[in-house]
Amino acid sequence: MSENPILFYTSFILIIFFGIMSIAEQRLIRVLLYAVGLFFAVSILFYLLGSEYNAIIQAAIYGLAVPIIIGISIMFTTGKKENAKESVIPTITWIFSGILLLGFIYVIMISFAILPDSLHIVEIPQRNSYDVLSAFAKGIFINYVWSFEIISLLLTVVIAGFTLFKKGRAD
Amino acid sequence: MITMYHYLFVGIILFLLGIVGSIISKNVIKVLICIEFMLTGININFITFATYCDGQNFDGYIFVLFYTGLGAVELGIALYIFYLMYQKKESDNIEKYCDL
Repeated sequence: MSENPILFYTSFILIIFFGIMSIAEQRLIRVLLYAVGLFFAVSILFYLLGSEYNAIIQAAIYGLAVPIIIGISIMFTTGKKENAKESVIPTITWIFSGILLLGFIYVIMISFAILPDSLHIVEIPQRNSYDVLSAFAKGIFINYVWSFEIISLLLTVVIAGFTLFKKGRAD
Repeated sequence: MITMYHYLFVGIILFLLGIVGSIISKNVIKVLICIEFMLTGININFITFATYCDGQNFDGYIFVLFYTGLGAVELGIALYIFYLMYQKKESDNIEKYCDL
C-alpha cells in the first residue's frame, strides 16, 4: 500500500468531476466517456489501497468491457436529447456539486489538521504483493470456492441465454 | 496523512452521486450507469475495510471480485431488457417503462 496524497487527491477530484459531469451531461456518449474516466480514477484508488489485482480488474471490466456493452446499447437508440422537463437538473446538479466541494475542502482540512495519536485507531498495514496474491488464491479456491463457481456458472448461463434468445428471435 | 476515513468518504460520495443520478435521470442507460457508480462506491468501502481492518484474509478483495462479475452480468441483462423494450417503446425515457 502506498500513501501518496497527490495521487489520492487527484483521483478524488477526478471522481467528483467525472461523476458530476456524467450526471449533468445530456448526451449519452459523453455520459459514457465521463463514466469511463470515473472508473479509471477508482482503479487508481484501488491501487493506492494496495489491491493491484482489483485495480486491474476494475480497469479491464468497468473501464473497457462494460463501456463497450453500454456503447453498443447507445448505438441502438436514436440519440435524441432528453425531454424538456429536465430543465431543473442543472440547478440540482450545481447545488449537489457545491455540497461535494464543501465536503472536499473539509477532508483536506482534516488532512492538514494535527490529530492526536489516540485518534489513529488502526495501523497502516505493510505487505507485499505475494501476500495479496496468496490471499486471492486462498479466497477464490478454498474459502469461497462455491461462490466463485456459482458466479462462473451465472456468467455462463447469461452468455448461453443471450445466444439462445438471439437464435430464438432469429427463427 | 491519508486515513481510512478519507477512502470511506470517497466511497460515500460516489454512492451519493449514484443515488442522485439515478433519481434525477430520465434516461434508462444513464440510470444504469449511475447504478454502476453506486456499486463502485460499495466496492471502495469493501477494499478499504479489507486493507485497514483485515490483515490476513483480505475477504473484501474477493467480494469486490464477485461484485464486479455480478455487476457486469446485471448490466448485460438490464441492457438486453432495455433493448427488447426499446424496440416496442422507441424511447429511452424511463417514464415510458412503467409497465416493467
